[in-house]
Amino acid sequence: MKSAVKFEKKNLLASGHRACGGCAQALACRMVLDAAGENTIACVATGCLEVFSGPYPDPSWRVPFLHSLFENSAAVASGVEVAYRALKKAPVNVLAMGGDGSTSDIGFQCISGMFERGHNVLYVCYDNEAYMNTGVQRSSFTPFGAKTTTTPSGNRLQKKDLPQLAVVHGVPYVATATVDDYQDLQQKVKTALSIKGPKYLHIFAPCPLGWGHAGEMSIAISRLVKETCLFPVYEIKDGKLANVLKIPLKKPVEDYLKVQARYKHLFKKGVPTTEVALIQEIANQNIERFNL
Amino acid sequence: MEKLPLGLALDLRKVVPYKTGSWRTQMPVHVMQTPPCTFSCPINNDIRGFLRILADKQDFAQAWSILTSTNPLPAVCGRVCPHPCEDGCNRRDMDYPLAINCAERSVGDYAIENKLDHRKEHITFRKEKVAIVGSGPAGLSCAFHLAKRGFKVKIYEAENQPGGMLRWGIPAFRLPREVLDYEINAILRLGIELECNVRVGVNIPMDQLANEYKAVFMGLGAGKGTRIEVPGDDAEGVYSGVEFLKQINSGKQVNLGKNVVIVGGGNTAMDCARVSKRLGANTSIVYRRTRVEMPALSEEIDEALEERIMFRYHTNPTQILAKNGKVVGMLCVQMEMKEADASGRSRPAAIAGSEMDIPADTVIMATGQAVDYDGIEINKRDEKWISTDNNLQTSIPGVFAGGDAVLGLETVSAAIGQGLRAAQSIEDYIAGVLESSLSRPPVVLSKDLNTVYFQKQARFNKEGLAVHERLKGMKEIYPYFNQDEIIKESKRCFSCGLCFQCNNCLMYCPDNAVNIVQGSGKYTFDLDYCKGCGICSKECPCHYIHMTLE
Repeated sequence: MKSAVKFEKKNLLASGHRACGGCAQALACRMVLDAAGENTIACVATGCLEVFSGPYPDPSWRVPFLHSLFENSAAVASGVEVAYRALKKAPVNVLAMGGDGSTSDIGFQCISGMFERGHNVLYVCYDNEAYMNTGVQRSSFTPFGAKTTTTPSGNRLQKKDLPQLAVVHGVPYVATATVDDYQDLQQKVKTALSIKGPKYLHIFAPCPLGWGHAGEMSIAISRLVKETCLFPVYEIKDGKLANVLKIPLKKPVEDYLKVQARYKHLFKKGVPTTEVALIQEIANQNIERFNL
Repeated sequence: MEKLPLGLALDLRKVVPYKTGSWRTQMPVHVMQTPPCTFSCPINNDIRGFLRILADKQDFAQAWSILTSTNPLPAVCGRVCPHPCEDGCNRRDMDYPLAINCAERSVGDYAIENKLDHRKEHITFRKEKVAIVGSGPAGLSCAFHLAKRGFKVKIYEAENQPGGMLRWGIPAFRLPREVLDYEINAILRLGIELECNVRVGVNIPMDQLANEYKAVFMGLGAGKGTRIEVPGDDAEGVYSGVEFLKQINSGKQVNLGKNVVIVGGGNTAMDCARVSKRLGANTSIVYRRTRVEMPALSEEIDEALEERIMFRYHTNPTQILAKNGKVVGMLCVQMEMKEADASGRSRPAAIAGSEMDIPADTVIMATGQAVDYDGIEINKRDEKWISTDNNLQTSIPGVFAGGDAVLGLETVSAAIGQGLRAAQSIEDYIAGVLESSLSRPPVVLSKDLNTVYFQKQARFNKEGLAVHERLKGMKEIYPYFNQDEIIKESKRCFSCGLCFQCNNCLMYCPDNAVNIVQGSGKYTFDLDYCKGCGICSKECPCHYIHMTLE
């Protein structure tokens, strides 16, 4: 039985958005905004989030919302933050948001610049591991083995470790989270906003359409990715690893792979191929590296 | 001219949200289902309901009123019921089933301590009279439920005190008399008349009851001990199990002598053995099969073994040895197990030349019980038990029956359950609408639940007195349970099939289509926006949300 769970529910990303049924990005965005509160400005890069929540005349945003290009949400957020300082206005939470493509590939130089200049902005990355909005193309966050339209026989490269790149930029607060543990996610948003300077929050967001699973499985898959140690959940404060979510009962990666059609080719008549062993090796490295 | 900010300014008050509910092909609905504990309980007690009240509100009084809406004897059942509810509990697939029986006893004990009474204010009284024959668990339960329905009820009891087998068949160390008396008196305080020392069929003819009352309930019980026929069983010092227990429980002195041998492997045999041991005798149980085949509850066999009662398995009496008409021993033969017989238990057969004699000053034959039909004419099944239809009506119209006399030898809770069902049937019979209809919503199974939201937790363990303390007298072997521990135990309940406000549906809906009704703790679905993704149903821990196709 759960004890009294603290959570924020203000519906600052309102009903009526056009996300697919079971979309974890819509869910994650609402949780982030509700934790940040009304005193927030969101700068959102092009991507699913902007497309499903932004169309005129009925956007779902209940906080000020700026849509930028694919590559420059971090630069726009930097400008908003500087403008507030220059005009000596009351402080506001500035959020920059983007999907994994915008964060890891197209918008990376703007993010790097924002980190380097030390703007007081929280960058939130919704990681659904491919360019879902344009039709499931590989991004540099696509994990090894996953099938996308540009990697039809499975991705041969490993996922880029962006949280680590943020750390080497000297970002004081870097964290990862998943949507199934909303208490943890919302706490991380609040912690981040209490720190001055650039912050980076990486949220794992299953995509039912792109990954090939039922909408109802989004939460279960977020849970499985943690339990199989493929997505470690941690905080890095001032370059030091803190609060790693320990996984006492680790599950084999097959449990996670088998429920998604994007990994179907890794099983021949239900028998795992050698690639599954390689993915298990990635999980084992995570276990060792983060002492899960 | 008004200075407009750069970019497009929107007035949110003019926004008409897009109704995404039109995308849906399936919708979530709340469905209350039967938890397996209630399904397994012969009385269908609302176990989930009373545990929830304990867990959320720590309110023992309200828990008692939930329990007594079906079972008027919770403190009794909390002690002597073999708790089939716990066998059904879905928690067994995660760690251990809930200690429902202990929680029930704790609630019953609270009521006794605080002198709680059954509520009478909602009863609308009726003029019809119903007679109850026998004041055992079946009769008491039937009387209770009829009285709550407003009928004028009178109980006829053959013995000098009410309670039936609860009083005469169960020793005080398992069921203290003050517990039994409190619960019986609470039932009688509903305005039920009780006449003791009247044996229906002997002191009053059945016809008189049938004429005087609108309906009659026969809770005769199976209070007559039967013995296996062995040469020499008419010697002084040979008792039947029920006869022996009744003598002890009515306070009579029984001179047992040094060695007591009990024949049989049922609960009555265990009770006889444990009473004899407490009276200081050297006690052994003789049974022709093994422990596996014993009909007694495993828990009671364990307790008997703890109390150092000797078990002789594969042993069958062939003759009772007497000297001057008084028992001195029992001649027995060793048995071996052969293929299973009609009862499904392996058939014992004597081994030639294995005769031996066991010294005995008293022999107790706890080998079966039967109904005392003295002066009662009624259709029977197997020549032994009263036959009834699905509504518990007997061959005589308006005469209903239940309990051991119908079921054969069954449990206290089975008898209480039949009393409840007979009361429902009698109400329908008097209203002239008696029909056989018993339907229940489907049962929630382990596989339906999402148990990731629960953690493994140790089960409440009742702690008994040390064996040497127990054997000093007829003191109850399990003293008072700590209420805080019972509350902690009640929090282990999965709440199968009913919401317990975990907020998962509220927090996990990507479309904010689940709303909470302020103050009530209930949730509603906003079907204007629900896309039917099914996350709420999948992540509901207790299988309360179902997806249905539209």
